[in-house]
Amino acid sequence: MVVQESCDRAGGVVIAAARVEALKLTRSLVGLVATAAIIGGTLVLVWGITAALRSGNEEVIAQMGPNAALDWPGLLAIGTQIIAAGGMVGFGVVLTWILGREFTDGTITGLFALPVSRGLIAGAKMGVYAVWVLGVSLALTAGLGLLGAVLGYGAPTPDTWAGLGRLLGLGVLTGAVAVPVAWVATVARSVLAGVGATVGLVVMAQVGVVAGAAGWFPLAAPAMWALDPAHVTGAQLALVMVIPAVFVPLTWISWQRVELDR
Amino acid sequence: MLALEGVSREFANGAGVRDVSLTVPAGQIVALIGLNGAGKTTLMRLALGMLRPRAGGVHLVGEPLPGLPAARWREVGALIEVPLAYPELTARENVRIVSLLRGLPANRIDSVLHYWGLDPVADRRFRHLSLGNRQRVGLATALGHDPRLIVLDEPSIALDPASVIVLRETLRQRAAAGAAVLVSSHHLDEVARIADRIVVMNAGRLIGELDPAAADLERVFFQRVLADDERRGAEPAPAPSAGGQQPGAQPGAQEEP
Repeated sequence: MVVQESCDRAGGVVIAAARVEALKLTRSLVGLVATAAIIGGTLVLVWGITAALRSGNEEVIAQMGPNAALDWPGLLAIGTQIIAAGGMVGFGVVLTWILGREFTDGTITGLFALPVSRGLIAGAKMGVYAVWVLGVSLALTAGLGLLGAVLGYGAPTPDTWAGLGRLLGLGVLTGAVAVPVAWVATVARSVLAGVGATVGLVVMAQVGVVAGAAGWFPLAAPAMWALDPAHVTGAQLALVMVIPAVFVPLTWISWQRVELDR
Repeated sequence: MLALEGVSREFANGAGVRDVSLTVPAGQIVALIGLNGAGKTTLMRLALGMLRPRAGGVHLVGEPLPGLPAARWREVGALIEVPLAYPELTARENVRIVSLLRGLPANRIDSVLHYWGLDPVADRRFRHLSLGNRQRVGLATALGHDPRLIVLDEPSIALDPASVIVLRETLRQRAAAGAAVLVSSHHLDEVARIADRIVVMNAGRLIGELDPAAADLERVFFQRVLADDERRGAEPAPAPSAGGQQPGAQPGAQEEP
């Protein structure tokens, strides 16, 4: 009976913390603008590049290389490249704001005298972030599917559905590899430091691709997999999840042990 | 209810608190006064676990602070420097989220808003509130759950006279109901009206107490601080030692060679 009550109380605290963090994100300008920018920006960019290909813009055709095709594979390839870079920036900025704003705004002082541990609050923040990433990825995938239909690419084939599924996976995995910025924003107690870390992650992913380590490089593996699943093994893809597996507990512990000594 | 025993925490720049022992029993209002930089906020941060002491210990609601179960924080209400309120949320939503985290019933929110005179601005975003109303929201979130231990750092900042009276009455009522209250302030005349004890802090140490009923409190306060400064200034600086000095040890207390 006592154990049951304790579990109920603990569950209630977790749900309360998650509700609070969800309300803060959905009511914030940062959350709304980032959501609109990631979804709307990606769709507008894909549409713009497609329009340029249709008009025969040689520069864009040359830049897109083998992906300069006006069909489902071409559309998905364009979407993949934009989500891989833009998604990481958008997800990273929102995650660093979710955690770092408590230090920047000074509200961290009020999070000490509460019956909810700071580790749990950090966990709720990252849980809300994960749900938001999933929602944004679903909206992006659905939006690209609709865009393909509007552009007259016909009914999706099984390959197209698989490609759309990989786009959804790419969104989720990109959100996962952005998690280190949560720890950076916490340790540095700064939103700007987290934004800097986000830029660093994007640069590292690009360098990893150029260096040819893409498959085994967790920051670049999701995009490589989404573009060409045959070139990324299951083990390489599983390695991506090492990043959140390390940095979620690190962030939790950092929040639990944080001191206001600066 | 709140006990600090030999607590020390010094920073690289020399600021901090040294060998502080202070007890705030149930039913008592203890006012902490001192000049800017005296260490009042640091002391309160130590009392609430925002800083960990390098020496000494803190007991909160009867339990040692490092092991205090999360649920026991429900008995504590605090406002240190920045209100727990978010600019993107309305006053009502800010009170609601803190109530949620404390597991309070939702029907209490309206009465808390009404008590602190926030009805007219309840649905206005926090970022659009005046400084005084922001402080009232902060007090509503800190005290709306009738805590048994209250720790407030300069709570009357930006408050209008009517709100100061509401705050004063609230603290008196909570103390009468058995709560322990630790409040810091620059305003001696204000704290003298409600405090059972006035504790003077200077240069990171507690240097004595003032009688709240005494006449000319300000003069007595400044005399104490001046005397303490002169005494410390007259003492020789501590000689550096490889083993370091014990936290809280008085400068000049080393043995002669």
